[in-house]
Amino acid sequence: MLFNSIDFAIFLPIVFLLYWFVANKNLKLQNLLIVVSSYVFYGWWDWRFLALILFSTLVDYLIGVGLLKEENGKKRKALLWTSIIVNLGFLGFFKYYNFFIENFTTAFSFFGNEIQANSLNIILPVGISFYTFQTLSYSIDVYRRKLEPTKDFIAFTAFVSFFPQLVAGPIERATNLLPQFYKKRTFDYNKAVDGMRQILWGLFKKMVIADNCAEYANIIFNNSDNYNGSTLFLGALFFAFQIYGDFSGYSDIAIGTSRLFGFDLKRNFAFPYFSRDIAEFWRRWHISLSTWFRDYLYIPLGGSRGGIWMNVRNIFIIFIVSGFWHGANWTFIVWGALNALYFLPLLLLNKNRQHIGIVAQGKYFPTLREFFQIILTFGLTVFAWIFFRAENIDHALNYISEIFSTSILSLPDFKEIYGAYVTLGLVTIFMMVEWFGRDHEFAIEKLIINRSRTLRWSFYSFIIFIIIMFAQTKETPFIYFQF
Amino acid sequence: MKKFIILLLKFSLFSLVFYSFLIIFWGRFAPSVLSPNLNFTYIKYGFTNTRLNEIKNFKNIDILFLGSSHAYRGFDTRIFDEAGLKSFNLGSSSQTPLQTEILLKRYLDSLTPKMILFEVSPVTFSLDGVESTLDIISNDKNDFNSIKLALKQNNLKIYNTLFYSFFHSFYRDLFDEKKYAEDIKKGNDTYISGGYVENQMKYFKYVDYPEIKWVFNETQFSALQRIIELVNKRNIKLIFIQAPSTSSFYKSHTNNLEFDERINKYGIYYNFNVISKLDDSLHFYDAHHLNQNGVEIFDNDVINLLVKNEFIKRE
Repeated sequence: MLFNSIDFAIFLPIVFLLYWFVANKNLKLQNLLIVVSSYVFYGWWDWRFLALILFSTLVDYLIGVGLLKEENGKKRKALLWTSIIVNLGFLGFFKYYNFFIENFTTAFSFFGNEIQANSLNIILPVGISFYTFQTLSYSIDVYRRKLEPTKDFIAFTAFVSFFPQLVAGPIERATNLLPQFYKKRTFDYNKAVDGMRQILWGLFKKMVIADNCAEYANIIFNNSDNYNGSTLFLGALFFAFQIYGDFSGYSDIAIGTSRLFGFDLKRNFAFPYFSRDIAEFWRRWHISLSTWFRDYLYIPLGGSRGGIWMNVRNIFIIFIVSGFWHGANWTFIVWGALNALYFLPLLLLNKNRQHIGIVAQGKYFPTLREFFQIILTFGLTVFAWIFFRAENIDHALNYISEIFSTSILSLPDFKEIYGAYVTLGLVTIFMMVEWFGRDHEFAIEKLIINRSRTLRWSFYSFIIFIIIMFAQTKETPFIYFQF
Repeated sequence: MKKFIILLLKFSLFSLVFYSFLIIFWGRFAPSVLSPNLNFTYIKYGFTNTRLNEIKNFKNIDILFLGSSHAYRGFDTRIFDEAGLKSFNLGSSSQTPLQTEILLKRYLDSLTPKMILFEVSPVTFSLDGVESTLDIISNDKNDFNSIKLALKQNNLKIYNTLFYSFFHSFYRDLFDEKKYAEDIKKGNDTYISGGYVENQMKYFKYVDYPEIKWVFNETQFSALQRIIELVNKRNIKLIFIQAPSTSSFYKSHTNNLEFDERINKYGIYYNFNVISKLDDSLHFYDAHHLNQNGVEIFDNDVINLLVKNEFIKRE
């Protein structure tokens, strides 16, 4: 079920009313309702994969119970490795099997050895990368004794399958989300209103910004041989806003929806396109994944403790793994490696933590220096996105070489150019709202909050109107579903 | 909780009023590039408005033509008049069975035709019908059937345009109706009384189309079934006709036979791609529209076939 669908618009109020009016007196019943509605939500896409989530849930629940009883270090480690192997095994099979098979056969044939290996027609279960990492974090935290393992199977199932964030995150830590399933939830009016506001902003990002940018990004990327450098540059810009609007929009809807049910999810985006360097960008983009890799990969690898070269190696590992997490394609690996390269000078000069706070906080405009830092960081990010979006490495390289040819000096030229300019106008207005709301969790959280109710409601109604006027008339899935 | 639900209801009402005012303003003043989901096509193309305004002058006709542009650019009512057959052409742009059903519900009882020639094209059976619905709701009086059609198609463009069309009809009637009268000559097209649209003589330049397969929209076949039931209740003869396309366009589609087989199951059906002897270069102005020379051959072929099969009797 998509957040931007009529199905979800019917599903959400039904679950909400049942949750607060029928199941409100009984915590177990509320959790059970979350489980059932989450399975309906997921099964709406493909019910066959419900068994996979259930199995993954069962394995990690039992491993948690096993870790509770087990004191022997070796046996505890064996239990942890069982969880890692099962979870990453599923992920590896569904997501990476064909990639490895194809690359092995290519590598062997390169050395003159022909081997027969068949790739399989595998459907990637939606959200597998997200819930796998979530359950893994539980097992690891329990193993590290950071978290008391749960004996409440319903609460644990609800934690793994919680529908607002099941298919595209934020990737929640058990330490943050699981305890919320143990506590009685009371309806919080302000939290719910805030949640509705965040859902609205998320829908705007997805249905107006991302989907309209996608239309032009797809036209340009899919026919890149036919366009000049400036058009290709425009295509890369559109993709940068498409992926931001799409993914951060999803996260906003997920967090907002969770608030309606009394839950607090982790923040996943913090205005990343206003970052002054790549290190800051990665503290603001897909925060739940970056911190997951930091805590469960970078730090166990030694982090920054083993000297500069060890640190460089670890940085490259987490960026490349992070790229590979997005998909089984060399383009994602190059995208990850490129970001590691961007990060490298900051690391070597020990400047990777120089921009921690909000840019130009309390001011309307950034300084000239900050402005150029933002533009440079954004430019580097857009450049890397070309690899992320391209079909393969050759496609990306051809795309980039055309951008850096003299044709960049000509005007963008494609059939739908006027519509593209309107979308650029929408993106400009969107980024202005984002800029003025960057002090908050999401841009319109506190925007005109102190003005009259008529003005505020007119503003929100205008956002709804723009969604109705500019949304695509066909349902469009979220990009991160494929990851 | 109660406070939250009351707030939501109040806000929904506020938003509805806000939307109503803004859509009127937007529809009236915003350029089309700023209103992609509001496609009000009043008197823009296809002469639907003129045709529907004229319909009240036609009663007890011999033949009613239905279908897309293949119908209103293919069945020349003057040729049928010459053959002694009083007819009206209720074709409209991209009309699919979904819209045909609505038009029949509105006009069949006033037209009381003896026979219906329904142009069935694999093109329209492959469409979702949004374009045609926009054409109908922009140019016809809207009623409960329009709302039902909008709900059936469930498309933002249709909802917005329907809402604006309700306002527009009120606005148009209240202020200056004459100002909005449609010109009967537009570009290369001339509207002929009775619903036919004559295109200025042009010839098709050969294009080699790549092979492609029709992907049919099943909702159109369901609508076709309802149309048959509607017509049968009134004891009106219903004949399905596929108007000719250029051979290059027709043959580029690999599952034409599948379409013929499906339509044959619904009743009497003639595919004029295999009946009429037409030349791509001489008798068409584009890939699937006849020029006036082609229309004359096609219409005479249709009349001859109707006579030969004794569907009509020539006096």
